[in-house]
Amino acid sequence: MSDLDRQIEQLKRCEPLKESEVKALCLKAMEILVEESNVQRVDAPVTICGDIHGQFYDLKELFKVGGDCPQTNYLFLGDFVDRGFYSVETFLLLLALKVRYPDRITLIRGNHESRQITQVYGFYDECLRKYGSVNVWRYCTDIFDYLSLSALIDNRIFSVHGGLSPSITTVDQIRTIDRKQEVPHDGAMCDLLWSDPEEIEGWGLSPRGAGYLFGGNVATTFNHTNKIETICRAHQLVMEGYKWMFNNQVVTVWSAPNYCYRCGNVAAILELDEHLSRKFTVFEAAPPEARGVPSKKPVPDYFL
Amino acid sequence: MAMVDEPLYPIAILIDELKNDDIQLRLNSIRRLSTIARALGEDRTRKELIPFLSENNDDDDEVLLAMADELGGFTPHVGGVDYAHVLLPPLESLCTVEETVVRDKAVESLCKIGAQMKERDIVAWFIPLVKRLGAGEWFTARVSACGLFLIAYPSAPDLLRAELRSVYNELCHDDMPVVRRSAALNLGKFAATVEAMHLKSDIMIFFRELTQDDQDSVRLLAVEGCAALGKLLEPADCVANVLPVIVSFSQDKSWRVRYMVANQLYELCEAVGPESTRTELVPAYVRLLRDNEAEVRIAAADKVTKFCGIVCPQVAQQHILPCVKELSFDSSQHVRAALASVIMGVAPLLGKEATIEQLLPIFLALLKDEFPDVRLNIISKLDQVNQVIGIDLLSRSLLPAIVELAEDRHWRVRLAIIEYIPLLASQLGADFFDNKLGALCMQWLGDQVYSIREAAANNLKRLAEEFGPEWALQHIIPQVMEKIKNPHYLYRMTVLVAISLLAPVVGAEPTCQTMLPVVINAAKDRVPNIKFTVAKMLQSMIPIVDSTVVEQTIRPCLLELQEDPDADVRFFAGQALQACDQVMCA
Repeated sequence: MSDLDRQIEQLKRCEPLKESEVKALCLKAMEILVEESNVQRVDAPVTICGDIHGQFYDLKELFKVGGDCPQTNYLFLGDFVDRGFYSVETFLLLLALKVRYPDRITLIRGNHESRQITQVYGFYDECLRKYGSVNVWRYCTDIFDYLSLSALIDNRIFSVHGGLSPSITTVDQIRTIDRKQEVPHDGAMCDLLWSDPEEIEGWGLSPRGAGYLFGGNVATTFNHTNKIETICRAHQLVMEGYKWMFNNQVVTVWSAPNYCYRCGNVAAILELDEHLSRKFTVFEAAPPEARGVPSKKPVPDYFL
Repeated sequence: MAMVDEPLYPIAILIDELKNDDIQLRLNSIRRLSTIARALGEDRTRKELIPFLSENNDDDDEVLLAMADELGGFTPHVGGVDYAHVLLPPLESLCTVEETVVRDKAVESLCKIGAQMKERDIVAWFIPLVKRLGAGEWFTARVSACGLFLIAYPSAPDLLRAELRSVYNELCHDDMPVVRRSAALNLGKFAATVEAMHLKSDIMIFFRELTQDDQDSVRLLAVEGCAALGKLLEPADCVANVLPVIVSFSQDKSWRVRYMVANQLYELCEAVGPESTRTELVPAYVRLLRDNEAEVRIAAADKVTKFCGIVCPQVAQQHILPCVKELSFDSSQHVRAALASVIMGVAPLLGKEATIEQLLPIFLALLKDEFPDVRLNIISKLDQVNQVIGIDLLSRSLLPAIVELAEDRHWRVRLAIIEYIPLLASQLGADFFDNKLGALCMQWLGDQVYSIREAAANNLKRLAEEFGPEWALQHIIPQVMEKIKNPHYLYRMTVLVAISLLAPVVGAEPTCQTMLPVVINAAKDRVPNIKFTVAKMLQSMIPIVDSTVVEQTIRPCLLELQEDPDADVRFFAGQALQACDQVMCA
């Protein structure tokens, strides 16, 4: 068994790698990711997954429902880290799978794959706590800069973490972005990772403070211009796991069940077969006994 | 042990880092305290390191915790048991800090060291320490003291023993509830070391007073003491002294105390013996099963099987089963889930007739519960009932419910059903099985959830093992082959997995004739995932088939796959070819 296969097994048990192993893994990942396009070409069949947010045991649940990699092909739409308890293990597992099976799994960048955001929403602190230094955080955030910005499945389904940008009308314009940098505060690259669809005409200001809101007519024009059927994106919690908008021109997929361990939502993955026919599989959070930490014994002490 | 050989320079750094401003460095240094001690030697460890540590107790809690832990195993480093007492001062001061986990660790380490110390050293050093802590000005010292009596008491001469008992008495009456809690918590362990004579007099008085404490948090810790004390006393004394306390606790005004009783009742029954259990504790248990508080009912429901096990079947049927029936319709889903997880165990205790008459309706009700955990808990234990009432009756009454659950919305419920199928099949026999369950088993191969498809393939293999190759060739394999036409690659993949699992069961001949062609044909699939699955499946078939088949059919197919444009297909084809080579060499 190769080192990499052993590391994948270890990560599947939710045991983090050694700092030196992370460094080596990230170097190998960089070699692969640097070759990918800003609009990475993906062949169907593929299973599309939305935000994971460090919910490691729910990611394992996702694989139980969708099938293991490499048997099933996967496209993850970003936001692997922050909020959940196991961002380190989650991201490293996905990255190790990417290095081992580059043609079977595609990872694109979410707005949380950023130095600035991870310092506020948990990934930075988790690295510091688990490794006693910020080196692992540095290796990972350096890799974030290399992640592709979007994917195009069989030239018919455009996938991106957030949504569209007023500075982008054609997919080819995305290809010209120099993506190897921290997510900027504005501009095309920022918008792709931050924007949301909304029931409006044209463009609107985003309450998030980055990216834009885009209406149904914007999606129609984009899809028509680029000969695309559907825009598939993540970025927003939807209680039912997925949500169609604008007459099936945009779909949101959300893959973190019971988000932040308290939202009570279900999650979904979108399974596209080789003929691009769609099937959503909905799943719930992993039950307590499937999680690493033994479920709390209900023995009341004086804090009860 | 490699650390012994480390040069002295790093040791100087470690010692230096004990005083460093960075907590991480201090922590590292503390964790390697034994290395420092070995480098310094026993004498300097006693005279320099330990006094330094004793003064060093206003550090960060995390450092103190590590220190308390390290010192527990430090006896060899200070010169063995004869010098162990030098370790007491730093631990004594750690017993008084504010952070509970540090104090608990210090008490644990003190007990560890005290257990090794000689009797005269205990009298000279350990007992004075216990008395000092017991009279400490801060409650933290007094809380820690309670946990040390079990070590101090056995070594003390009579006069000191009386003094120690009176110190404990004071701790039981301390003004601070937190100290009384610690006294209640440690009473059982202390009592185990006290002579029978004083047990009945002093200790039982402490116990009674703690059970009447006005703080419920103290009382509920005293409940735990009941079982421990009960086991120390003669049965008659236990019935006279402990039983009334348990009965009154079961009606305590605080639900947390009642919850504790419900949790501990089984141990308590063992302490008081079967006779008093029947007369006194059964009514108490029935009250708890009908408690107003759902938490108490959960704890009580959880113990139904254990409790029925210690009373005779008549008592169980007469008093406990009516409550169980009520609980199966409880308003709290958690109560029903707790009941569902244990109720199947009652069947063997009651015997066939009573199970059919009284338990079966309850099972059926729980199998139809709206809450999936309840259904799951029942299904996963169905085999316990098989043995009691026989499969015929079970299948007749439960089969409709099982068929319904086979399409349950929650995949874990479906999974539990699949895992139960081979057992059911072995009991039902092939004919009955075909009629009722055959179609379901095929249907699961096309389930939307991967884990179900995987389990379905495994299930087919186990069925083939149960009913034999002939049956499998007739009833399973044609239907499985048919499914290779599915337009979705994930479902075709399941079929390939099922084929490779069935091949060893049906043997070489049918494998080569019917199944291998299907696999070989799948190597022309347009989806790479199917192609590398084919490679893997062919590899698994090598040991089953004849070597000429390997050479004439499997190897050419793999060689073709090894030229595939997809890297993963090439990789898995390469692995399979290696396996071919090994077989040919062998």
